[in-house]
Amino acid sequence: MGSVSTYFENVKNAAVTIFEGMAVTLSWMFRRPITIQYPDRTPEPVKDTLPDRFRGILEVHIPACTACSACARACPIDVILVETQKHPSGKGRLLMRFDIDISKCMYCGLCTEACPTGCLRHTPVFEATGRDIHNLVVHFVDGPVVPYKHKKGRPVPASPPPGDIVQALLKPWDAEYVAWSPGEFVERDAGGGDGEKGAASPGKVEGGATGSGSG
Amino acid sequence: MENALNKQAVSDDLMILNMGPQHPSTHGVIRFVITGDGEVMQRAVPHVGYLHRGIEKLAEGLPYPSFVPFTDRVDYLAAMFANHGYAMAVERLLGIEVPRRAEYLRVIVSELNRIASHLIGVGAMAMDIGAFTPFLHGIREREKLNDIIEELCGARLTYNYIRVGGVSFDFPQGLDAKIRAFLDTFEPLMEEFDRLITVNEILVKRCANVAVIDAETAKSYGLVGPNLRGSGVDWDLRRDLPYSAYPDFEFNVCLGRGFRGTLGDAYDRFIVRVQEMQESVKIIRQALDGLPEGEIKGKLPRKLKPAKGEAYGAVESARGELGYHVISDGTDKPYRVKIRAGSFNATSIVEHASRGLMIADLVVLIASLDVIAPEIDR
Ligand code: SF4
Ligand code: SF4
Repeated sequence: MGSVSTYFENVKNAAVTIFEGMAVTLSWMFRRPITIQYPDRTPEPVKDTLPDRFRGILEVHIPACTACSACARACPIDVILVETQKHPSGKGRLLMRFDIDISKCMYCGLCTEACPTGCLRHTPVFEATGRDIHNLVVHFVDGPVVPYKHKKGRPVPASPPPGDIVQALLKPWDAEYVAWSPGEFVERDAGGGDGEKGAASPGKVEGGATGSGSG
Repeated sequence: MENALNKQAVSDDLMILNMGPQHPSTHGVIRFVITGDGEVMQRAVPHVGYLHRGIEKLAEGLPYPSFVPFTDRVDYLAAMFANHGYAMAVERLLGIEVPRRAEYLRVIVSELNRIASHLIGVGAMAMDIGAFTPFLHGIREREKLNDIIEELCGARLTYNYIRVGGVSFDFPQGLDAKIRAFLDTFEPLMEEFDRLITVNEILVKRCANVAVIDAETAKSYGLVGPNLRGSGVDWDLRRDLPYSAYPDFEFNVCLGRGFRGTLGDAYDRFIVRVQEMQESVKIIRQALDGLPEGEIKGKLPRKLKPAKGEAYGAVESARGELGYHVISDGTDKPYRVKIRAGSFNATSIVEHASRGLMIADLVVLIASLDVIAPEIDR
């Protein structure tokens, strides 16, 4: 009876191969588990285990930013907003606003490659959330600042460890949304800013949205 | 596309069943409208378009290099190929030479990506059939690959690694050894995977002789990649239209042979993927051994402005031929980018191949075609 023997052949095959598969599964019971309980029981913070090139949330080290807008132009989806203005003294420019919308960014890295001073970089920070999505727009400058001017042979201002800047600027998840308004102009002795020493009469910043004019 | 739900007469005793778009075994948002006579399908009509993001149109508003991150989203399980095809088309348009080292790096990451994609492909197929464990084994191995690629380029899925003119990063220190270590552990694990599921009689019985696509039909529907080779058609772009550094390597093109049933059944397509992973391992080893020194990015003008004309670049992706047809009108933005993706054709054959199939076998058919929704819709 061919069909009967095929039937039992099938049953035998199924039993044997299932047993074999189960043996494999069982053997994994005695190997080291690879599962990690995220986020509260990781052996070390995930942030510290990430490779150097990890493309996390962007941050910009303002004291080294030349306000050249190369990053904003490189971004295919207009995540970065760089606003500059003429310096009130008529010489040079002021960096008025530097926003990165981390809820919109796709972490492609094109902007960081365009940055001439390397002040814009990806960080190992990857956890950010907010009840209001507008809170995920990170404002890197509070008020107008004199952009960095690069001079040959001089090192770019040293920056804190990656992640520190943006971590400090991220709001708690349940923070109320408050619209950003530019603060007041502060003279800053950053890198090449000294080229325009004294030029910045802190008085009025043309078109500065606050209109406040104290120093 | 006709809407079977509206059109079918109610009187002919056929049952109309809707599957998807939110269905775990449609591999993304695809909807199938099944016309069935009891358990037997007359046909299953795929309705696509739920994941259409207009990527081709987006290309027309972006400079050539800026479109690369968008190609990642064409096929998020195998984004390296999507990068590569576009980069190749633009390179042909510009007539630039890519450094050897970059070509080798491209091959290495592509093959790593192929393994990652096939692991999901075969794992998900087993899961759709009812075996959950193999999927986790696949995911576990893929996770290691993701770690390797993350170390190389900083991202786990949307790599943006292969750029016009080369690649974005060179190997960091020690990655070479890491890849070799992975390959060494991967090979025994592959054998274990075979013992776990590939020879499993239930899987075999479930897939063998199911959803048979013969060679002629496969060709006429324009199937590509493992689906085409599963039907026994000996066609692989890596060998037959050599690109990048593939002519330097030796590998076999895996074909379906009716391993446990008919040529071109679901099991053949499954096996072809399993075997292709082993071939990829071979290619990666050869590429690592022969990795030349040198630049990783060719000389590019600051602004890419190809002359008027058009070019086509196609790669053998994990899902078959993935081609980009780029037309330039002489400006720094493409006039038109057309993406030819394997999953679209693979979906189109569902209506034909589902004729006479049991409803329960539809998931076997879909899974064996390894379609991925973003590639269908773009
Ligand atoms: S990482 Fe990409 S998307 Fe994000 S800001 Fe930079 S260029 Fe734009
Ligand atoms: S972050 Fe870099 S690219 Fe962007 S404005 Fe500053 S210096 Fe220029």
